[in-house]
Amino acid sequence: MSLKERLGKEWLFCDGGTGTILQEKGLKGGELPETWNLTRRDDIKAVARAYFDAGCNIVNTNTFGANSFKYDNVSEIVTAAVKICQEARHEAGRDNDAYVAIDIGPTGKLLAPMGDLPFNDAVRIFSEVIKAGAEAGGDLVLIETMSDSYEAKAAVIAAHETCDLPVIVTTVYDESGKLLTGGSVEGTVAMLEGLKVDAIGVNCGFGPDKMIPIVKRLAACCSLPIVVNPNAGLPRTEGGKTVFDVGPDEFSSIMKEIASLGVHVMGGCCGTTPAHMAALIKEVSPLPFKEPVKKHGTYVTSFSECVEIGPKPVIIGERINPTGKKRFKQALRDNDVDYILTEGLKQEEAGAHILDVNVGLPEIDEPSMMENIVFKLQSVTTLPLQLDTTDIEALERGMRIYNGKPMINSVNGKREIIEAVMPLVAKYGGVLVGLPLDEDGIPETSDGRIKVAQKIYEAADEYGISRDDIVIDGLAMTISSDSTSAIATLDTVRRIRDEFNGHSILGVSNISFGLPARELINSHFLTMAMQNGLSCAIINPCNDHMMASYRSYCALMNKDPQCLGFINAYSEYKSDGTFGGASAGAAGTAASATSSAKLSLAESIERGVTGRAAEAMQEGISAGTDPLELINSELIPALDKVGQGFEKGTVFLPQLLMSADAAKAAFEVVKQSMADKPRQVKGKVILATVKGDIHDIGKNIVKVMLENYGYDVIDLGKDVAPETIVDAAIKDDVKVVGLSALMTTTVVSMEETIKLLREKKPDTKVVVGGAVMTQEYADKIGADAYSKDAMQTVRYCDEVFGVQ
Amino acid sequence: MPLGVSIPENEVKRYMGYRGPVDVSPETDAMIKKAVSFLEKGCSPKYVSKAFPVTVEGYSVKLADIVIESRALARNLAGCTECVLFAATAGMACDMLIKRAAVTSSAYASCCQAAGAAAIEAYCDLINEKIKSEYEAKGLFARPRFSPGYGDLSLEHQKDWFRLLDITRNTGIELTDSLLMVPTKSVTAIIGLSPDRLPCVKQGCEACTMSQTCAFSRKE
Repeated sequence: MSLKERLGKEWLFCDGGTGTILQEKGLKGGELPETWNLTRRDDIKAVARAYFDAGCNIVNTNTFGANSFKYDNVSEIVTAAVKICQEARHEAGRDNDAYVAIDIGPTGKLLAPMGDLPFNDAVRIFSEVIKAGAEAGGDLVLIETMSDSYEAKAAVIAAHETCDLPVIVTTVYDESGKLLTGGSVEGTVAMLEGLKVDAIGVNCGFGPDKMIPIVKRLAACCSLPIVVNPNAGLPRTEGGKTVFDVGPDEFSSIMKEIASLGVHVMGGCCGTTPAHMAALIKEVSPLPFKEPVKKHGTYVTSFSECVEIGPKPVIIGERINPTGKKRFKQALRDNDVDYILTEGLKQEEAGAHILDVNVGLPEIDEPSMMENIVFKLQSVTTLPLQLDTTDIEALERGMRIYNGKPMINSVNGKREIIEAVMPLVAKYGGVLVGLPLDEDGIPETSDGRIKVAQKIYEAADEYGISRDDIVIDGLAMTISSDSTSAIATLDTVRRIRDEFNGHSILGVSNISFGLPARELINSHFLTMAMQNGLSCAIINPCNDHMMASYRSYCALMNKDPQCLGFINAYSEYKSDGTFGGASAGAAGTAASATSSAKLSLAESIERGVTGRAAEAMQEGISAGTDPLELINSELIPALDKVGQGFEKGTVFLPQLLMSADAAKAAFEVVKQSMADKPRQVKGKVILATVKGDIHDIGKNIVKVMLENYGYDVIDLGKDVAPETIVDAAIKDDVKVVGLSALMTTTVVSMEETIKLLREKKPDTKVVVGGAVMTQEYADKIGADAYSKDAMQTVRYCDEVFGVQ
Repeated sequence: MPLGVSIPENEVKRYMGYRGPVDVSPETDAMIKKAVSFLEKGCSPKYVSKAFPVTVEGYSVKLADIVIESRALARNLAGCTECVLFAATAGMACDMLIKRAAVTSSAYASCCQAAGAAAIEAYCDLINEKIKSEYEAKGLFARPRFSPGYGDLSLEHQKDWFRLLDITRNTGIELTDSLLMVPTKSVTAIIGLSPDRLPCVKQGCEACTMSQTCAFSRKE
């Protein structure tokens, strides 16, 4: 029988530790264990043989760390490992009931954005191993000891794109039930179920006793067979040697207890031996076996957050969307990623649970933009995202690189759209928004919409997507053109809940197009929709009226324990209708305006009062003053004054930065008011932290200062290869490149970059900075200038561009 | 608090570039407090440590299967019979907070950056103290901790620390090809253990050969 037929139908047993046994056979600390597949074949075979003899059904190949970071001959090593394991199985007489698992461990590298390994490179590295293992005849892929769900996702995609073998994934949690990257048990299960693996579990980390609470949580949320492979207790060092304290008897008796929690596959990890497995199998195999039960939760996740749809309405922030927003369109055209990220962070602070991401604009490359924005957003916010696009390539690239299980907006009842979108959801996982419209248009009545919703649910069945992962849109359309439209929408929302036990979503503000005082209609409509069972509301969470409806509803409907959420949000509420509190504090600006109301633009910049600086600029523009005049007569002189103080040592860095932030906020007001007019810039400057270096705070400070002084900055980020910098300099004919490096070890890449620039773009000037940099060092590596801080870089650029 | 130790605000100010007694504006002070409280709550620190016998001959230090050539370390470890290697990290949340702050406010980003540096140092002090008292009970006295990249102890030895302690697997810290650690607020170190109690050992910036050029050196 195949493994797929047996998984979840009967007890199956994995093997135990390998590394710890090889150490006893003489493997040295730091020696790569997989080399033994070629040099000490018999020892490797003996370990596998002992596990087959002990009764294990799933025995791992010795390939945990076999990847191209560590080996030049990956495929040779993996092929040998599979062959050895097959021979051991044959010799043990277990050809018919035991399986050879291609063992996949973590790469040892952290994935970007936290680390430096790009997601698709990780997929490629896993693919090499899995391909070799599958070609050699492995029976399944066992991805184990994953402490980052993103890396697990890369390995699963690699497995599914390389072979048709069953895939089992086990991860490592700490005692609080979290992955190293912060993910929870529930979130990890949601993501892996979405990726359609065959079994999910937990391994390593600690002994069986401490795994019990985690196994309980797994059993409560997981619909797939559950795997439990603990260590033989916590490792301890004794005279430089690692030892484990839990012996076979104790191990098997705790495992017997775990077996009754709803587990289907059991084995061991570090420190466990064939004797542990034999004892485990003896204890557990006579116990009654319970098949996995389908659970009905709907989860949208990021790498660390897990939002459940159903228990209470979920707020989806709508602001990352260019529709009707000049400034946002401008940001997309200028690739002004920070502006887009700021829109996301503001919504998070205002109380959004999920962020909608729509970056479609006809004149830009939407697939690349979607991939980049998803990646960048996930490096600054833990909120899950809703990928909102009609471009299928953009959708796939976003879903692939997404860390977690996203929401997808959207599919509808048109066959062509179903056939484009549903296969992607079936492959990558996601909670899918279904619009109840089809080839015949938008049904006006709820009857018509329910009929199309039915069609969407059936299509999901066809593609193997759980109905729990479908959220139907009630289609809010303006009451100004059809006064019955709100009623049809509310009926649809209620019937989705009552007739399908399903979830619903609305783009709430569509209801009021063409009307004055839209927020009044919108917020009341939101309350009505929630009362009719709305699961997800796509709104602007920075709008006080909308959030007031939401918080009041939750407090009234017993969805806000002790009204704490409500009280926290409105403790400073004034009955004259000003809201205060919750949504007032914009992202990151801790500085509250203390007695700042009457500061001039110049004063507010000098003192670094961000909110007032923006306000003063707005007042100036509203009064009819030319923004450029305000910049030249107030903003720049104020910045200069602070900058000079900094150079003299009377002003410290934090004050300089606060002024820079205030100036930036004032500039943002100018940008808003001139979103469609060409800007005046002094010149273009490239900034980059060089290859190998990941410390970019200094570079970021320089960026803010240069922008404030009127430069257009092309920020290439950190860990940037020399070629990328040179290409960017050539592409836009950039006169000045600023490079930063923090460590002596990365100054080498700085030197390489300068060399390559001299060769390919000799007229570009290079200014360098960073903690280890000195004038002497800068001269040695051939830079044109050294800047000890951001102000000096500004002065240098002014010099190069001939500005006084 | 999940960090397990409080972050000293004076250290945060030092890392931010304040020197001597200065008036910190109320706005800046509020930002520092916000960053400190966020990190004290939001960090998920981890560490791994392992003890090894050690011998020192001239300027060579021998432990496990490695030989370290460093005058400064040899001086630090003179007379030690054992040592503890450790690696510690403030965790990923800290890096994310800094990145996030950089999008909206460079001033707040610099507070977070400095608070992160002070957080990992405070956490290392905590581990250091634990190791120190554990061994004092066995009659071994701890020397000040010493890190690769500090003085003349080459950063290349990061590779040895990662191999000997299996740091990536145990703590989630990754060593990049350029020998930097991710999460960035991470530390590797060695603590020498000697049967002799040494009074008043020079340590910290005062003992480091880089102190003349280092921007963060304690100079009063």
